[in-house]
Amino acid sequence: MDKSEIQETKLTALLGWSLPAIEAIDKLNKPYVVVGPPDFQEFADKNGIQFVAWDFEQLNERSIELYEKLAALNTKVAVPIYEETVEWAGALNAHFNNDPRIFNRSLLLRDKGLMKRKAQMAGIRVGVFEEAYTKDDVYRFLKRMNEALIKMDGDVNDPIHVKPLNKAGTVGHRLIRDAQDIDLMGDTEFPCLMESHLDGQEFSCEAFIHNGKIQFLNITEYVQLGHSNFIPASPALEEWRPRIREEVQKLVDSFEIKYGVIHPEYFIAADGTLNFGEVAARVPGGHIFELIERAYGFSAFQAQILCSDPDTTEEELQAFFPEEVTSARGYAGSLMVYPKVKLIERLNVPEELKTNPYFEKHDMFIPVTSKVAERVGFGNHYGTIFFFGDDSEKMRSLLKQYEKYDFYL
Amino acid sequence: MTFIYNRWKRLYHLLFSNDGGETSTAIAEKSLPDTDAPQEQAYASNMEPHLSGNTVEMNEELERSEVENESPNLEIHDILPLATGGKETMATETSTLIEKFESALDSLQQAKPFAKSMYQTNVFQLATELAGTEDGLHALYENASKYDEAGVFYAGPWEDASKLQPPLVGGSLKLKGVNSIIELLSEMRLLSIAKGDYQHSKLSQEEARSFLNEVLALNLDLLFPPETEAARVESGEHIERAERLFQYLGAELSFNAIADKIVGEIERLTVQRPIMVDRIKSMIEMAKNMVKSDIDEKSKESLIKFEKAITSPTPLSAEFPDIRQYQSKLKEADEEVLEKEAEVFSKSVQATGLVSPFHATFIRFINRAKPDLMPAALDLSETGIASYNANKELIRDIILLSIYPQTCQAIYGLGRMLDRGVLTQEPLIPAIRRLLELDIHPQVRNSLLKPLYRKNGITANGILVAGTVSVLGQPLGVGQGLNPTCQSARAISLWAQHGNGQLLENIARGARDNDIDMTFEGEVIHSSQLEGGVAGGEIHQDLDPVSKVLVPHLDKIYNEMMKKTLLRGEDGHKWVNPEFYGEWIPRGFLNLIDPITGYVSEFDAFVRLFYATHHPDYNEGYELIYPNPVGIYITNVHGNLLGLHAVSIQRIAEDANGEYRIYFYNPNNDSSQNWGQGIEPSVTGNGELEGECSLPFHQFVSRMYAFHYNPYEQGDTYMVEDSIVAEIKGIAQTSWGEAYTWI
Repeated sequence: MDKSEIQETKLTALLGWSLPAIEAIDKLNKPYVVVGPPDFQEFADKNGIQFVAWDFEQLNERSIELYEKLAALNTKVAVPIYEETVEWAGALNAHFNNDPRIFNRSLLLRDKGLMKRKAQMAGIRVGVFEEAYTKDDVYRFLKRMNEALIKMDGDVNDPIHVKPLNKAGTVGHRLIRDAQDIDLMGDTEFPCLMESHLDGQEFSCEAFIHNGKIQFLNITEYVQLGHSNFIPASPALEEWRPRIREEVQKLVDSFEIKYGVIHPEYFIAADGTLNFGEVAARVPGGHIFELIERAYGFSAFQAQILCSDPDTTEEELQAFFPEEVTSARGYAGSLMVYPKVKLIERLNVPEELKTNPYFEKHDMFIPVTSKVAERVGFGNHYGTIFFFGDDSEKMRSLLKQYEKYDFYL
Repeated sequence: MTFIYNRWKRLYHLLFSNDGGETSTAIAEKSLPDTDAPQEQAYASNMEPHLSGNTVEMNEELERSEVENESPNLEIHDILPLATGGKETMATETSTLIEKFESALDSLQQAKPFAKSMYQTNVFQLATELAGTEDGLHALYENASKYDEAGVFYAGPWEDASKLQPPLVGGSLKLKGVNSIIELLSEMRLLSIAKGDYQHSKLSQEEARSFLNEVLALNLDLLFPPETEAARVESGEHIERAERLFQYLGAELSFNAIADKIVGEIERLTVQRPIMVDRIKSMIEMAKNMVKSDIDEKSKESLIKFEKAITSPTPLSAEFPDIRQYQSKLKEADEEVLEKEAEVFSKSVQATGLVSPFHATFIRFINRAKPDLMPAALDLSETGIASYNANKELIRDIILLSIYPQTCQAIYGLGRMLDRGVLTQEPLIPAIRRLLELDIHPQVRNSLLKPLYRKNGITANGILVAGTVSVLGQPLGVGQGLNPTCQSARAISLWAQHGNGQLLENIARGARDNDIDMTFEGEVIHSSQLEGGVAGGEIHQDLDPVSKVLVPHLDKIYNEMMKKTLLRGEDGHKWVNPEFYGEWIPRGFLNLIDPITGYVSEFDAFVRLFYATHHPDYNEGYELIYPNPVGIYITNVHGNLLGLHAVSIQRIAEDANGEYRIYFYNPNNDSSQNWGQGIEPSVTGNGELEGECSLPFHQFVSRMYAFHYNPYEQGDTYMVEDSIVAEIKGIAQTSWGEAYTWI
């Protein structure tokens, strides 16, 4: 391992500015370049970080320019950090490997309509879905869905979900129960994806893939979507690990994913039936990477970087990853806190939380702007509380207990 | 020439952790306007200016959690070990916290500079917890050098210990967010340096000590939390923490050093005889507890003197500290007692410039019963007595209407107004009388009448007259308060000295019509038709009554005049000042900044011309007749540029050592008087009259950037020695000049 590191001269490009990712690759002693918004140039220069300024948001035909810049620096692989950089990584890696299909594959991950279709064709269970271009489409979908569920007049509708085709996680997500909810939608929200509501427990996987093979599979148990989760999953969910692994492998095969990390979300019914929600190929939210490191002791950022690199050897990976589940030192959980008030007056962190043996740390301060920003999707959380302990049930009840707590008054 | 508060530190607050993923943090970060964007990894959004800290009253009673019970009951302890569990748990908790804190420091220490921001949060969080107890504070102290070196302050406004400023500390500590804890850590770092436990490369032990002494002296409300304001319900954890810090600092540093500072500060403020004395009074109020501590005798005496001055300075008032009782005793008192009262009141005012509420009661009493004592009670000079005798009726009415215990400070102004012989200008008498019955505009009435006045039945006219008397008696006591309106304050001060008629006319116009008009190059400008102003239309109300009435108008008019000169390619003050202030201002004007390029051009000529027009050795003996409004650069103690400011040169004269000094009026009640490079304006001891500051001639010139002069009265510029010019240039270039390009 040491030898290959010393000899390594080709760069890994991190797409998106993220200090934890930079720190991770820096500690790997791998030569790297960061591609990020131009505002970070000064900081990068000051800290001796090789940097290429790039505006990912702007759609243009200039990906070739970025490729040329990176190629000139002797870059061999691009690692996407943020949702918006996934297709950029696809385009770049297509160039680096002279394989245009890599780019098309990455597009599967950026268009939720395409993604679902692909999954469905591969025999993966998904809900009923359609793309909507106007509000009329949504009215019709809601109506037809509920007709199919044999609802009569006066019965409460089963909800449907609408979400943007290409946004991360819960951004732009709406739950629609009746026509009024549809009226609230803005014209800019179209086109979007509509899908039936799936019951069951939601969880996510973080699968580190190298050469099309799952090297490490983490299961993250959601306690409350967008608010709390913990790692590894409870024994009740981990019991389904072989099934889950099978499903993830199916996804990897059908999406022809060769290298990197994927972050699919599933719903599992009581009988073990798995419904596929969606999949992303970048760093997941909810502090999941931090939790993986806390629970398993390896840096998930480093894992992503190593797995993204085709040159990483099987031995290196074997030495890097610990054994799934059994090697975890305990359960690591996080609770994301959203103020429930419009104006923050003060912070209210109860003593019994701070003295709870599961409590590790929190990062809440009274924000300078006391006015709370309006939430989009699940919005940006104002702080996170980290827990660690050896009982998944205790973890779950703590996360539930404090989700209701008003930390900001 | 507005004072630009660019010393406001840009501070940031942690909002979001950076775990990548879901939302597009990278893209959101990009849109933040700050130039040093990468810091937003840990810090987001700007912060309020520090100055706001001055205005916030944060005097909650210190409610220290009695965590450690001093008298554990031994019997219970023996029977029920659980009973003392509280104490033990707390002790363990603190030690667990310390362990956690130290391990967080290790992570921070090991992080590369670019990654430090990710590890600072946890350190701040644990420091907040530790700062909750005295033991915790001590642990922070013990770790001070370690956290400084680990990079707690890295890439933030506190990074360079040698660039910190004492006046900013209080404001930071009184903020709710993360900055108050960083500020606290910074004080602990300085304490560690001051005590010699931490050898710092950029800050000496002595510098750290004097920094902390100044911080303590400037924040007496934190050092001695007043006991009266417990009513405030709002929980102030951060205030309690700041108070705990100050207890700690107070215990570690010698009270003597601070006592001198405090007394020095009170003396320095009072010797300038400001009209607004609220802050001085609250300083005295808070420092009075210190009299009980072991402090220097001289300081103690001085403190007692000040405290008596604002409470009961005379024998009778000391004996009967209830104001009603005092008044009834006055009725019974004989001539001798009353004379004694008058004499002691006068002496106290003479010594301190502060007036006791009893003094007002006394004046009201003799106004009715013993007017003959008035000259003694007002401490009048010969001119004052003559002036009083010629206007007894007017003075009687003024006192009746405007002198109350709540407005007692105006007594000082009244005496000085008479001494200045203002009333010998006959047209002023009806002009003042007019104010007694002026029909005041409802909006102005509202701003004049504080609840305290309303409650005691004082009318808006009473307040206005009291304020007018103060301004006429103490022209150099006018202050701009917290407003960026040095121009307006300077105008009021100038008119109070030389344009009494104009001042009174403006007061009447402003108070009655809520409008003032001035003519600029033939065009009439009405303030009531203008919006905005330098202060953006928002005037902080901590001002004397006359300023309250005039500043909103003057500020807008001044701003409007400046706008009209924007495109002239020269500094607009050249035309605005003579029209705004009046014909007292000479037409010649020079600014050392080239308005087109923004460069310092022909600095030598600037200095030579100033010497040739103002320095008695070079200007053919022409004396300065009226105050000269000049522009100066304000610099901090390190000589770094803080902003532009407007002051007036009052006079130029030799001091006792035969050195020429410039005596000037500074409308900013800024307590930091150290401008760096050894330039420290003095307010006493160098021949200053009350309200004046002074500097040696060349030092003042080294901070000046614009002045007016009379082109018909000047000496030869070539007579000014090269060595003088070179010296001044050197001082300028190594201070404010570093922010400019010189050509």
